[in-house]
Amino acid sequence: MPNRQAYIYSLILSMLLISCKDPFEPELGDMPTEILVVEGYVELEGESIIKLSKTSPIQSENTGNLVLSAFVALSDAGNNRWEFEEKGDGLYSLEGNFPENSEYYLHIQLPNGETYISEAMKPVISPEIDVLDYIRDEEGVEIFISTKGTETSQYFLWTFEENWVFRPGVISNLIYDNGSIRRRTEEERIDRCWQKNINPFIVLQNAARFEDNTILQRELVRIPNFSEKLTQRYRIQVKQMALDQAAFDFWDILRRNSEDIGGIFSPLPSLITGNIQALSEGMPPAIGHISMGKTSTKEIYIDLNDVFPWPVFIQEYEFCNIFNDTIPPNPATITSTFASGNLIPARDIFNQMGALLGYRAAEQACTDCRLRGSNVRPEFWED
Amino acid sequence: MKIMKPIHLLIIIVLLISNFQESKAQDTESISGLFPGISFVRFAQQIESMSSYRFFFSKAELENFQVNISAKDNSIQQILNAVFDQTEYRYSIDGQKQIFITKYNALDLRLPEYFFNTNDKVGENDSLQRQNDIERAYSRNKLYVIGDPGPQKEASLKGKITGLETGDPVYGAVVFEKAEYRRAITNEEGFFDIRLPVGRHTLFIQNLGGFVEQRQISILGDGILDVAIEENIISLSEVTVSSDRMTNIARPEMGVQKLDIADMRRIPAILGEVDVIRSILTLPGVQTVGEASVGFNVRGGAADQNLILFNHATIYNPSHLFGLFSAFNPDVVESVELYKAGIPVQYGGRLSSVLDVNAKYGNSEKVKVSGGIGLLTGRLTVEGPIGEKTTFLVAGRSTYSDWLLNLLEENTDFQNGRAAFYDLNLNLSHQLNNKNIIRFNTYTSNDNFRFDRDTTFRYENLNFNLGWTHYFNEKFEAELVLGRDQYSFGIEGRDNAANAYDFGFNIQQDFIKANFKYELDFRHSLNFGVHTISYQLQPGFIRPSGLESIVVPEKVNQEQARETSIYIGDNFEINDQLSVSYGGRYVLYQFLGPNNSRTYASGQPIAAPNLVREQSFGPGEVIQNHHGPEFRISGRYILNNISSIKAGYNTGRQFIHLITNNAAIAPTDIWKLSDNNIRPQWGDQISLGYYRNLKVNKYELSIETYHRSLSNLLDFRSGSTLILNSTVEQALVRSEGRTYGAEILLRKNVGKLNGWLSYTYSRSLLRTAKDELAEKINGGDWYPNNFDQPHNAVLVGNYEWSKRFSTSLNANYSTGRPITLPVAKFNYGGSERVFFSDRNAYRIPDYFRIDLSVNIEGNHKVRKLAHSSWSLGVYNLLGRRNPYSVFFTPVNGVLEGYQLSIFAQPIPFITYNFKI
Repeated sequence: MPNRQAYIYSLILSMLLISCKDPFEPELGDMPTEILVVEGYVELEGESIIKLSKTSPIQSENTGNLVLSAFVALSDAGNNRWEFEEKGDGLYSLEGNFPENSEYYLHIQLPNGETYISEAMKPVISPEIDVLDYIRDEEGVEIFISTKGTETSQYFLWTFEENWVFRPGVISNLIYDNGSIRRRTEEERIDRCWQKNINPFIVLQNAARFEDNTILQRELVRIPNFSEKLTQRYRIQVKQMALDQAAFDFWDILRRNSEDIGGIFSPLPSLITGNIQALSEGMPPAIGHISMGKTSTKEIYIDLNDVFPWPVFIQEYEFCNIFNDTIPPNPATITSTFASGNLIPARDIFNQMGALLGYRAAEQACTDCRLRGSNVRPEFWED
Repeated sequence: MKIMKPIHLLIIIVLLISNFQESKAQDTESISGLFPGISFVRFAQQIESMSSYRFFFSKAELENFQVNISAKDNSIQQILNAVFDQTEYRYSIDGQKQIFITKYNALDLRLPEYFFNTNDKVGENDSLQRQNDIERAYSRNKLYVIGDPGPQKEASLKGKITGLETGDPVYGAVVFEKAEYRRAITNEEGFFDIRLPVGRHTLFIQNLGGFVEQRQISILGDGILDVAIEENIISLSEVTVSSDRMTNIARPEMGVQKLDIADMRRIPAILGEVDVIRSILTLPGVQTVGEASVGFNVRGGAADQNLILFNHATIYNPSHLFGLFSAFNPDVVESVELYKAGIPVQYGGRLSSVLDVNAKYGNSEKVKVSGGIGLLTGRLTVEGPIGEKTTFLVAGRSTYSDWLLNLLEENTDFQNGRAAFYDLNLNLSHQLNNKNIIRFNTYTSNDNFRFDRDTTFRYENLNFNLGWTHYFNEKFEAELVLGRDQYSFGIEGRDNAANAYDFGFNIQQDFIKANFKYELDFRHSLNFGVHTISYQLQPGFIRPSGLESIVVPEKVNQEQARETSIYIGDNFEINDQLSVSYGGRYVLYQFLGPNNSRTYASGQPIAAPNLVREQSFGPGEVIQNHHGPEFRISGRYILNNISSIKAGYNTGRQFIHLITNNAAIAPTDIWKLSDNNIRPQWGDQISLGYYRNLKVNKYELSIETYHRSLSNLLDFRSGSTLILNSTVEQALVRSEGRTYGAEILLRKNVGKLNGWLSYTYSRSLLRTAKDELAEKINGGDWYPNNFDQPHNAVLVGNYEWSKRFSTSLNANYSTGRPITLPVAKFNYGGSERVFFSDRNAYRIPDYFRIDLSVNIEGNHKVRKLAHSSWSLGVYNLLGRRNPYSVFFTPVNGVLEGYQLSIFAQPIPFITYNFKI
């Protein structure tokens, strides 16, 4: 019986070749899974924000392990000491002006008594951003920065915040309000929203390799064709920090640390520490490198007209349309159709005489841009 | 029960002489002279030249036996007693001053007691002794009438003596007629020719160590009589091991392990195949980072620090299916030598070890076929002569079950794994004349393997070389070899059509080497030569596969280099006890264009921001030279006949580097040549050993310790990517290494129960070089290397129940290899990040495995078409899930750790082997 034979062979071969994948949960022993994470930048002028959190176990699902009620302070080489004020959400803030020619230390005391202190921080002053601009090319828009370093500020880190206006798949200016339908007020608009993207990745550059420490047209962001970012108007605000070499190395390693591990083309494990040591015996150092200095910022806006034509494709709105059924304008039907909020009146239909025939609806996901952003205009937004 | 080997290898030339005497009642002839640690062969030649004694012995058996004695007017008996004291060799001397050296028992020069009894009585005794072998008893007593009656008084009887079981000709068997004291000895083809008076005779046919066979003949005229005699099978396996035993104490090099195929057969192998790599893994000081990992680690060295030679060909990947099988067909392999220290001066370019696998060149007598069929693979070897002066060997091995897998894929769940491989050998040897031999070797191995449907790994070795050996005279010989070695590796990713890719890299090296051996005098034997290798390395490329693929093709520049070395070494036997082997090499390495060289600001870390300039070089232009001397010295001091101490020191350089990323599901390799940024690896080793044979050589004990220092090793920087990195120097940190350890081997070679127990303590540590500026891994402290496995114990036991039936057990324990673990995660800079432990701060679970196998030899008594044997057993008897790789991968946004075990259950196997 060849089939039977084949079966036996298959059994043996599958035992041989179907490898066995078991979960691997190593015993970490003394390794503390909660390590203090310190993030932020101390500004010589203006507000400084320090964020405190703790690492979470690798297999847990939440990462927002914030540290509340901690004590954070800045001291200088003399006996001056400035305390940070807790802002909630693990954020601690300090406003002040500090002399440039001094060394500073950051002190952290956790509610459980653990104390940490940073290595000496020497402020580094960032020069002004020379140029922040963009080029339109075949693949989209590239936003670049040019800056000129000095002998003392050669390592640069840029973080940026993007904001843009987008529009939903179906534009509606109608609202269901307590059994009836009326026009939306300016505050109730759902056809124009702002979205933002803060610090999506780290951009680093060493100016020392260039002549005169000048960085020319360093790419910061690339906006690919069809991106919704340029639906109407887009803003990018770039903050430039000058770092010392230790901080630069920290950020460089951090940049290469990613969750994409275990694959053939994945980066190898990276070791991250920083410049904040625990004062308690046997405690691991905190993760994070706090730098101090003066940042410079710059922002630009890009309008649709600047890059026209810019076709937009938003996956969420790919199959959006207005339903053909006309919902009669009697309160009972309107309530049963729109009260749940899943459908939103998109159009009002009138006959030739101008009498209201009813409403046509669209899905909320297609109509309400607040599901993907905020309809509140940011304070800084310039039209 | 071992597979039968051609008997003539072991047979000692025996001359049976006409007057029978006790071996030690001789008229004495006094002998004087100094025989300082010379080979027995030379010792015998010297004695023969100064006296009328003649020696008869097996060269193969005594090849490695050394003589250390000084004589002043001593009798030959006194000398031989001293020489063979505490060894298994015995001697006997006959009246014609012929000295016969044998093993275990002195050759009894007397005829059996029944010799002068009547033929009838001999026949009767014989048949009583061997009642269950009626046929043979019948042959013994049957009267063979030979020839046609004629006028002559004497007739010539010719014939051929063959082994009863093997059918191989028996060399050196004695054919003896008692009444007239006529005798003849078979030649290498087993033929004899004896002249006998016409009439009735009893012929005795004796093969050394075997039974006396007899034939009753009535010879009337010239005729032919062929006789099959029984071979002594026990001595077959013993001999090979014993020759090693003597060398253990006497040979000047240390850290050398020799295994021949008979030893390897005792180790229960997966799927019943004798396996070179798995066999050497049972030796102390040889480890592997896990099941199914490529290569092996010797004394804490990396896998790329082993030079693996297969008849001169450098094998870059000695494994099939990522190490499940070794890539050497067992039917082709003759023996294996592993040099862990005391690497001979003719080898270089690797820091850790040399594994020299010797393949056969084919039987010169007749065409032979051997092979085997297992559950997964089949193999076939054909060897034999072509004409008088040429021999060939063709061998192939392959998985044959691909069709089966295809068939099964449709109607079973079998869809994850897929494996196929083959290897082919063709070896030719042609003797031009007495002084010139030409040899041609070709080898290829090819592998296809996948863990899942989407990703196929494939790799291929392709090697060929041509060698010419020339003997100028008895003392001077030369060997010239030129050849090409290729290795290529590829991954086919077919996850989806849009990002289907082909990734790969390959290495090609062309080499030419000339090696000379010159025996200067009795004390010195010189070895010198030149060796040039030209490398071409394609470090990596990726290509889209299929029209829909959007993968961007990428390619790292091809690298070229040339490595030339000259060397000279001397084996100097200072006196009876002390022998020294010393030598030196000088290596010139040139990194060549076409390529771009990158120069980084001095005093700055090698990193993109510090790139000063990039310069391009044309073909053949020298981009960077590296050169320097290497030293080899090792000495042996014999304490007494059963023990010796040895010490050695050697240095080496290595210009080709392997960097392995073992954080992935399947470890992925990157090869790199030294250039202007990556310096050659340098290493030295100091070692000390003590060797002793116990209980009359029944047990062999060796203890070796070593310490190695290494510099310019490479480890990866935090978060770097090695694959397809065209500036890979920016992803590496220069490190220094330190390995040290002790190896203990207790071996029992004789008896029904034999085997060995080995224990290795070995540490292999790395530290970022002091002047490395880019990154200090683990704060610049020592940390364990990827293959640091402090404890390793291996037990190989073999019990021979009978000549045909034996069982073997193999137990293997080692500490799990180090690993860098992701221990926590956190948010920083707007993204989720992973916090890793210190480099290699944790270990994967320990490794433990027991294998059991049973070997059954075919019937020896009956002449059959094929000699066959069965090997069956269980691999991983306990079914322990030893991890092959440990990796972390995000599942639904959460990093999950997995350990992949390849042999997670007990794997039964059965293999049928045959020899025609």
